[in-house]
Amino acid sequence: MIRSTAQVESVAPEPRIGVYVCRCGGNISDVIDTEKVAETIKLVPGVRVSKVHSFMCSEPGQAMIAEDIKKEQLNRVVVASCSPFLHELTFRVAVRRGGLNPYLYEHVNIREQGSWSHHGDPEGATVKAIRLLAAAVHRLYHAEPLEQIRLPSHRRALVIGGGIAGLKAAVDLAAKDVGVVLVEREPQLGGRLLGLASLFPNDESGRAQIDRLVGEVQNNRNIEVLTGTVIKSVSGFLGNYDIAVGPASAGGAADVEAGGAKEKKLSVGAIIVATGHDYYRPGSGEYGFKRYTQVVTMPEFIDLLAGASRDGIEFNGQRIRRIGFMHCVGSRQIEGIHQPQADGRVNDYCSRVCCTTVLHQALHAKRRFPYLAVFDFHQDIRTYGRLHEDYYRRASEAGVVFFRFHGDEPPLVEGGVDGYPVQVRLKDWLTWGEEIVVPLDLLVLAVGMVARDNRELVNLLKLPIGADRFFQEVHPKLRPVETSVNGILLAGTAQAPMTIEETLASASAAASKAACLLAHDSVELETFKARVDADKCIGCGLCFPECAYEGALVRTNVEREGKTVTLASVNPGLCVGCGACVPVCPTRAIDLQGWTLSQFEAMVDGLLSAPLPSQPATSESSSHGKAH
Amino acid sequence: MQNSQVQSAYFDVVVVGGGISGIQAALDLGDQDHKVLLVERSASIGGKMISLSKTFPTLDCSSCITTPKMSAAFHHPNIQVWTSTDVERVESSDGVRKVHLCRHPTYVDNSLCIGCRLCEYACPVEYPDPFEEGLGAQRAIAVPFTNALPQKAVLNPRYCIACGACIKACPTDAVQFDQREERLTVEAGAVVLTTGFALNSLELKREYNAARSANIISPLQLERLLVPHGPYGRVLRPSDGKVPGNVAFVLCAGSRDQSIGVLYCSRFCCMYSIKQAMLLSGALPTAELTIYYMDIRAFGKGHEQFYQNAKAMGIQFVKAKVASIEPVTGDDISLRVELEEEAGRVAERRHDLVVLAQGAIPVFEPAKALNTPAAEDGFLRQPDSVKITWTGVEGVFAAGCALGPKDIVDSIVEAGAAAMEASKFLAMRTAGRSPAQKPDRLANPVGT
Repeated sequence: MIRSTAQVESVAPEPRIGVYVCRCGGNISDVIDTEKVAETIKLVPGVRVSKVHSFMCSEPGQAMIAEDIKKEQLNRVVVASCSPFLHELTFRVAVRRGGLNPYLYEHVNIREQGSWSHHGDPEGATVKAIRLLAAAVHRLYHAEPLEQIRLPSHRRALVIGGGIAGLKAAVDLAAKDVGVVLVEREPQLGGRLLGLASLFPNDESGRAQIDRLVGEVQNNRNIEVLTGTVIKSVSGFLGNYDIAVGPASAGGAADVEAGGAKEKKLSVGAIIVATGHDYYRPGSGEYGFKRYTQVVTMPEFIDLLAGASRDGIEFNGQRIRRIGFMHCVGSRQIEGIHQPQADGRVNDYCSRVCCTTVLHQALHAKRRFPYLAVFDFHQDIRTYGRLHEDYYRRASEAGVVFFRFHGDEPPLVEGGVDGYPVQVRLKDWLTWGEEIVVPLDLLVLAVGMVARDNRELVNLLKLPIGADRFFQEVHPKLRPVETSVNGILLAGTAQAPMTIEETLASASAAASKAACLLAHDSVELETFKARVDADKCIGCGLCFPECAYEGALVRTNVEREGKTVTLASVNPGLCVGCGACVPVCPTRAIDLQGWTLSQFEAMVDGLLSAPLPSQPATSESSSHGKAH
Repeated sequence: MQNSQVQSAYFDVVVVGGGISGIQAALDLGDQDHKVLLVERSASIGGKMISLSKTFPTLDCSSCITTPKMSAAFHHPNIQVWTSTDVERVESSDGVRKVHLCRHPTYVDNSLCIGCRLCEYACPVEYPDPFEEGLGAQRAIAVPFTNALPQKAVLNPRYCIACGACIKACPTDAVQFDQREERLTVEAGAVVLTTGFALNSLELKREYNAARSANIISPLQLERLLVPHGPYGRVLRPSDGKVPGNVAFVLCAGSRDQSIGVLYCSRFCCMYSIKQAMLLSGALPTAELTIYYMDIRAFGKGHEQFYQNAKAMGIQFVKAKVASIEPVTGDDISLRVELEEEAGRVAERRHDLVVLAQGAIPVFEPAKALNTPAAEDGFLRQPDSVKITWTGVEGVFAAGCALGPKDIVDSIVEAGAAAMEASKFLAMRTAGRSPAQKPDRLANPVGT
């Protein structure tokens, strides 16, 4: 599967190069003398054809190139036009149409980097175009036909985490006939939602949503569920991951707890990380937490409300009539104001769901017990989502009293007087900075979401973590559910705080990306990878510390003159083609396929030896045909 | 593009709307080997995002993120793109979706047009450029904007004087004055609606008097002023070309407001206003920048940190719902506000440029176009709490701002989710079908 990378650059046949200069309807030719460029570049050895067209990318332009390849038996092509970003692919396809390998093509940008940037200097821009073209021609002397690397892959995905994100991703993939192994650390599926009695925005219970998905998972021949199980080891790359799983906790009692989870080896093509979040745990004394018994966290309050009898909410023997909700506990923290977390950083992010949760729960409580007096302490009310603003309006209408504090002056929680166990003291900016004291029977801390301690998994998967300790995506817009490890995707609150709807969207998006990656029986990898010339490699090992992608460079034992020597070789599945290994090699045994050192050297030669219109052309071309 | 063979076309999925959500949905579906038709009403795909300067919270260039996705969709072997095409109605019955389309004449044959712009250079008529939000000029026949896809000229009949200069200039005889509107119906296994949003009118809130001053502008106009290749090439205020020195951003100028009937939060205005203020502070280091807000809703990943950075940069955040806006002498504008943090003092604050954060409102009319009621907020319904991108109509899914205002990141993620649901729907539908019944693939039409 890992093919030999010890190839020697094939000796190119006599180069027959076609050069095509585009006028771009005046965009280029108004500044650059395209005719002169085409005429001059003919003096560079190997150039057989040199033509100008008003729109090389148009159908007639492309057809001309394809026809010339056949008629003039061209074996390399250069087009000088706009940015390769726009049309490199267009011309690679055109070259293929002419029957040539698409990597025997070089694209030169003489518009963005020529006529547009040097519009005040036509002569200089013309010379620059010629130099760039000469460099491209010289580079092509050393070009070789390349193909994308295609490796067989497993049409199966590993989903880590059996909460709502993992369940949704599993159900989606299974419906697309992708096999799924769903691994959950706890003995049962469901995750955090099982503890939520009523969800916004539709008042459905968390269990009802989970039951729907678990029902689909359990009756699915494409899904294998492993509860009480954790990941033990991971190796491989996109399309070909080898995973070992085992019982959640080692030791005697674990087997019982883990419901008989066993060691097991799996082969999968992609991995979806859906490990969820933890709730923020306030420090002792933070907003009176643990100092006063009547200070609870939001999850505790949700349980309390769900379990309250018709007679009202009772907590620690106290009948609850006045409830306060404190926003931003463990979120939007400010350095110097809030205690740093264990890693020395504060949680400076917004947890996204707490504002709506507070208002939803406040309304819920008021609806059940209309006599309740409810107080809300916030910085901003962030009811951004669909129907969320409704809760804010209805809470105001229901008589919830709102107070607004500044983040750098958080409210103080004190022991109460007159039979009230606790009171909140704050400067309220809705009444122009007045100091207000609110006596309460119960204070609910709207705790934010924090990243789980996933240290082991992070090490196994080698995933990047953001400053907020959540898993980091490659790019929030270009690749929002992908990690920098090809084939490992993120779903749900493992990535950032999210509502349930957003979690479901993220899980489906991750499933969709996995389905795209595994749509065929093989995966295609870019061809620009390092390769080692085994004859030149002396096994010094200098390249290994330079490589940031574990497993990309492999130590391989080879018999040489009766002795076993250890040489470097490349696993193209794991190599990203960054080239970091190339310059440290003392014998130049390593090169980047498609971007070889000799190609770069030839480009420099081309730049310097380019025939220029103002001087008689010199036809010495130092790199042509010379060995390096 | 105008091609008579397509009359009886069948696609696995028709994606309606070629903004960033539609592009992402089409890409996810195309990559899963579904045959996709991406329909866009305007002359280029790219939607609102392609006209933005930079995007929050990473401040990367919007074009640089949009164009690769546009071009990936446009050149995708499984995706056909039809621009200048409206979806009038989607019917869902007997296991098939019928999408009724109206293709508007562009008066240019896309199979002949090579995008050389010679017609544009020859055209003697100029009108306010819609892509530049009316701030620059556009020719009556033109390629819509620099990185438009397709790079094909479009003639605007409202401004064309039929002088024929474009016909003479065109090297490929692509200009055709006799093109007509064309109605056709395509069948689809599933439909994904990514119809996006519109902004409510600047003049909707009458006490803000936007009609009375050119210096009360929309956020999209400011985006164009902020792009390096924008209409003026720099930030100038429209009335007199003065470099603004004191800019106000008025949040919730079209949302969270019962007086105009938009009760919901438009979700992205806080963040783009903060972003615009940041970009302005880079472009005009001495300018005073004030954001008037009710609540700062910086809820997304990296958003709160972005907001705190803006505060640290000296951008003023004033908690106030602006009561009224009046043009005053010198083309300046006066805002009447109650300063909650200054003991409730009522003040008149003078600025030389004011940006109104308009509300995001729906463009798709579910009752008319899909025979299903809209949700209370006017956007498509989401009746299933687990399949959140399902519209309640069999085989019809939606994503992005068609399901309510949403920022780019959330839209892109949701587009992936809608693609997944559509693909699942197709998989379940074809599970019992023999391969012979599977519709043939359609040849890619000219022009894509």
